[in-house]
Amino acid sequence: MPVFKTPFNGYSVKFSPFYENRIAVATAQNFGILGNGRLHVLELSSNPSLPITELIAYDTADGVYDVTWSESHDSVVVAAVADGSVKLYDLALPPTSNPIRSFHEHTREVHSADYNPVRRDSFLSASWDDTVKLWTVDRPTSVRTFKEHAYCVYSAVWNPRHADVFASASGDCTLRIWDVREPGSTMILPAHDHEILSCDWNKYDECIIATASVDKSIKVWDVRSFRVPISVLNGHSYAVRKVKFSPHVRNLMVSCSYDMSVCVWDFMVEDALVSRYDHHTEFAVGVDMSVLVEGLIASTGWDELAYVWQHGTDPRAS
Amino acid sequence: MAMRDLITGATSCPDPSASSSSQNPLGSLANALIGSSSKTQERLREIPTSNSTGLASQFYSEPLSQLPGSEFDKPFLEANSQGSEFLNRFRSAGAGGFEETWDEIQRDGSQLRLYDGRGQLPPQLHQPALDGTPQRVLSTFLHSFLDSSRGGIPFHPASLPVLGLSEGDKQCIRDRSSIMARHIFADKSEEFIHAQVNALLSSLDIDSNVRGKGPMPERFRELDDYWNESQGNMIQGAHASDGWISEFSQNRERYDNPDAWANSFEQQHGVNGWVSEFEHSQLSSVDQMRGMNMSNIAAREQTRMLANTLAQNADPKFQNSKFLQFVSKMSRGELIIDDNQVKETALPAPGDWASEYQQQYNHGDAWAGEFLNNKAFSGVRPEQWANEFATERQQNGAVDDQWVDEFSNLRVNDWAEEFGEQVGEGAFGEDSSNNWAQAYDEFLNEQYAAKQRSDSSRGVYVFSDLNPYVGHPNPLKEGQDLFRKGLLSEAVLALEAEVLKSPENAEGWRLLGIAHAENDDDQQAIAAMMRAQEADPTNLEVLLALGVSHTNELEQSAALKYLFGWLRHHPKYGTIAPPEMSDSLYYTDVARLYNEAAVMSPDDADVHIVLGVLYNLSREYDKAIAAFERALKLKPQDYSLWNKLGATQANSVQSADAIMAYQQALDLKPNYVRAWANMGISYANQGMYDESVRYYVRALAMNPKAENAWQYLRISLSCASRNDMLEACDSRNLDLLQKEFPLQ
Repeated sequence: MPVFKTPFNGYSVKFSPFYENRIAVATAQNFGILGNGRLHVLELSSNPSLPITELIAYDTADGVYDVTWSESHDSVVVAAVADGSVKLYDLALPPTSNPIRSFHEHTREVHSADYNPVRRDSFLSASWDDTVKLWTVDRPTSVRTFKEHAYCVYSAVWNPRHADVFASASGDCTLRIWDVREPGSTMILPAHDHEILSCDWNKYDECIIATASVDKSIKVWDVRSFRVPISVLNGHSYAVRKVKFSPHVRNLMVSCSYDMSVCVWDFMVEDALVSRYDHHTEFAVGVDMSVLVEGLIASTGWDELAYVWQHGTDPRAS
Repeated sequence: MAMRDLITGATSCPDPSASSSSQNPLGSLANALIGSSSKTQERLREIPTSNSTGLASQFYSEPLSQLPGSEFDKPFLEANSQGSEFLNRFRSAGAGGFEETWDEIQRDGSQLRLYDGRGQLPPQLHQPALDGTPQRVLSTFLHSFLDSSRGGIPFHPASLPVLGLSEGDKQCIRDRSSIMARHIFADKSEEFIHAQVNALLSSLDIDSNVRGKGPMPERFRELDDYWNESQGNMIQGAHASDGWISEFSQNRERYDNPDAWANSFEQQHGVNGWVSEFEHSQLSSVDQMRGMNMSNIAAREQTRMLANTLAQNADPKFQNSKFLQFVSKMSRGELIIDDNQVKETALPAPGDWASEYQQQYNHGDAWAGEFLNNKAFSGVRPEQWANEFATERQQNGAVDDQWVDEFSNLRVNDWAEEFGEQVGEGAFGEDSSNNWAQAYDEFLNEQYAAKQRSDSSRGVYVFSDLNPYVGHPNPLKEGQDLFRKGLLSEAVLALEAEVLKSPENAEGWRLLGIAHAENDDDQQAIAAMMRAQEADPTNLEVLLALGVSHTNELEQSAALKYLFGWLRHHPKYGTIAPPEMSDSLYYTDVARLYNEAAVMSPDDADVHIVLGVLYNLSREYDKAIAAFERALKLKPQDYSLWNKLGATQANSVQSADAIMAYQQALDLKPNYVRAWANMGISYANQGMYDESVRYYVRALAMNPKAENAWQYLRISLSCASRNDMLEACDSRNLDLLQKEFPLQ
């Protein structure tokens, strides 16, 4: 059965870049408003009819809002915690020595974390304190703080090709593109009229980026010609919480929304909505696509369930 | 650290001393409940009507125990010293409460039989099974609570044990709920979101004035001021009266049997009770009017708005959302923290209603005065009225709708109106909030108008201010000469003079459009071309140019329209383009038609050009490059074609090739601004920012109006770490830029 029950409300789910059967799920108690958090590492069985098993779980004093896998060590995960801390866990070490790092610099909730897929030695955290911070595992403090946004930063994502370029999505209604070698942002995209909750780069064209907003739409942009979006995807009936490009198909992307659905889109065709999955019974807030298995999608939501399924099949089918 | 941290929780609390001494309230609640769950269970089993089994499965369709991971769904917080301390508090404060609660339920049960207007059997009382995990307890608790209230059944849950919220916890709730509310209620106004959050906070007894994360700074700055202003002046009188009326009517609906209502009223207060209470309440002071109840009523009114919002979404999934129920319950005041004790307040039972009604009287000093006057006018003395009511009731027996109707029509409406008048006169300072609402509307209208303006400004040609060619005997010829010489900006002026003189001259507009396109100004190019198309709807060159310009602006549907039009009006290919297709154009159809055309006449360079443009639209750059290369074999002297090839190569990440193509274009036409700018882009794409800056500056020196090029220049300057020149870029100081970045 490709479903796992978490005690708390799901916030984020990520596939391991090293093991095709491993996922990490970030959860928070009481819808993340108040209470503890827990980070789960789960193993999918090679036989899809067998249940998902838990490898290990780490408890935190506040909700875990996001998680990202290390691109250099197969056993390391980074957790974005609502108390403003960023914590590193090493699954290979005994529970008593975890977390191996706890960086506490953000003054507000950390809403996302993203590991650099090109340099593989650093990661970003985006926080409600309006900043993005750049970290490496070996330094006790952040390498840099990017402070330009005027409101919560909900997500910061590395470009898949350029090691120094990342984008940040903020509640100040802008998307900013940054080059860590530069002092300030290199581009400001007033992408939506409402808060932007998520962004992601296309994995095949490093100039294409998607933004997901509270205005219920997803927009796809070419950063070289940013006055008009390439495509506007409408179909969600509430704020779009997360957007993610497929690692395997150039024009495919997946999104999840407060309307409790997970949608798959092809942004280059007229009828962009490819599939709609209505398996969650609460806000769907976390979604990911496997790099190692084409078409494998994972999602989680405030119904305390994490699903893993093959695109085109019913997530609830056992 | 782990366990201790887990229990103490709330490390985000700004005041470390506060958090270390406090416990995570929900965790401790859980602790307490788990710690004493056996006791609770026993107690529950003694309650005959309580449903202590299978509540969970009622709410979760799938059996939880079979879900992988549900085995972890066990108490993760072990009772340690803090837990047991809490437990003690729980035993003294909470567990004892069960007995009282049970008594309460018993009492209410008997009342229920009396008031149940629909004559149904007394509903089974839902008593949640207070076992399981912390989350489950709270959730099940609230869930069953809402469930029962939905059916119109008053529900008196067991009071939850102490939930001490530290300042840090309150701040968390305040901040996080504000931010989340903005995501969920995005299409509501900021005012509404504010109201929601305030309702939630006030029911949790959290000071909403300490603003955590305010609204978005850019969008709502004006609104914020309005809001603060109105908050400063507003006394929540209007809310209260609205709340009262809607509450009254709501109750009336629920207990639609007036007999029952009257019964209960009489029972509670006696026939004359109301009168004496009314008189008593008249004595209450203005101080009371501003008292706590006001904010509670206001909060409940806001909650009704929330409930309406939720009800608006017909999706059953939404109606069943635990989260939305959680939020709405909190904001409905069903979960009240009083003296640091969580109290679940039931929906007002009939008796409650009467006392609430009475309570509300306490605030209406002015209102009560009005009522007195009213009485004087109508000449009905309260005692008489009450007597009349009593006698009439005896006469009419069951049918007391009349009385209720009369009551509601005569009194409530009058009061409400008069109260409204008062408000209108500014007695309550309400006018300021009206102003606020008006100003907000105006703001919205303005925004809408501005958007309309910006939409309509697309496609409107903007003429230059001072044009030396106005009055020229033959500006078209002059313009054509200038264009041929490559003096594009001059040619633009001459051609503008031409189309001012003869606005129906399609050729003048067309050349003007091309001059703008070559000058790297697609907006103006599109505007000019649209005028050309108006003058001559079938001009092929115009249609092609419009298709290309819209492609550059990534406006696919517009581009397809014109490219299809080109085919339609072409003498050779018109036959293969069915006119009915123009209603709904799809990329694949148009591309197919052009491929057919290319098969028909493989030596028509224009068809290959359009194919190249189409493949750019679909981002099939390899095919686009092949199409342009084929066209260039037929038209090697077409500089704009070289430029198109270069742009396509650049898009397909072949920037080095692109520079060669641009160079070809510039060799053919040295003043081709667009090619210079594109050259800059290609260098920038290769990371050669210094080079790219020089090309942008060159392009801008020829046409300072090329907006895109300014943007690109800025990016390249910052990438080249030449922030010292950003100022020159922003102030458009071309002299300085040219001196700093000469092109060798």
